[in-house]
Amino acid sequence: VVPGETALAFYKAKNPTDKPIIGISTYNVIPFEAGQYFNKIQCFCFEEQRLNPQEEVDMPVFFYIDPEFAEDPKMAKVNLITLSYTFFEAKEGQTLPLPGYQ
Amino acid sequence: MSTAMNFGSKSFKPRPPDKGAFPLDHFGECSAFKERFMECLRDSGYESSACRQRAMAYLECRMERQGIPGPLGQLMANEPLEKLGFKDLIDEKSEAKPEK
Repeated sequence: VVPGETALAFYKAKNPTDKPIIGISTYNVIPFEAGQYFNKIQCFCFEEQRLNPQEEVDMPVFFYIDPEFAEDPKMAKVNLITLSYTFFEAKEGQTLPLPGYQ
Repeated sequence: MSTAMNFGSKSFKPRPPDKGAFPLDHFGECSAFKERFMECLRDSGYESSACRQRAMAYLECRMERQGIPGPLGQLMANEPLEKLGFKDLIDEKSEAKPEK
């Protein structure tokens, strides 16, 4: 992936149960310091997504790495940035701890 | 107040995506485009730059398709492709046209 260039990535999710599940996901970027350069244009996260029993879907993320990443001396040794998602089952009345996000 | 899970001074602050969430492609309407893109990635040794044409095609598919009817509407809101970082690919396309 080239900093500044938009890129597409896919994850896959499956609901192995026989009941529909409503999930919501949050993400994490490793190394931590690279997170500030990671910009999501569009993804499947932050909103509730419904998966029917046995359903498997592709989950796209459209993003770019801020070109300033290439200028940051702290990032000089970073060759690998890992983006991971965790899917939570959305429960009524439950909100994710997302400071500053409404 | 922050929900820091470590003792460092910073906690990870997730940011929402610029253009919001992709509705799920429950019917796999754009799966063929996704497969072509993934094929390109595998063939190129996972060089994202090599597969931008097919990434653009996938996003174009999303914009054209209706997903689940209702408030979700399209699988992706219509956005000029130039604004999504594909300006150079669009310019190439329009340059190629007069020759055909």
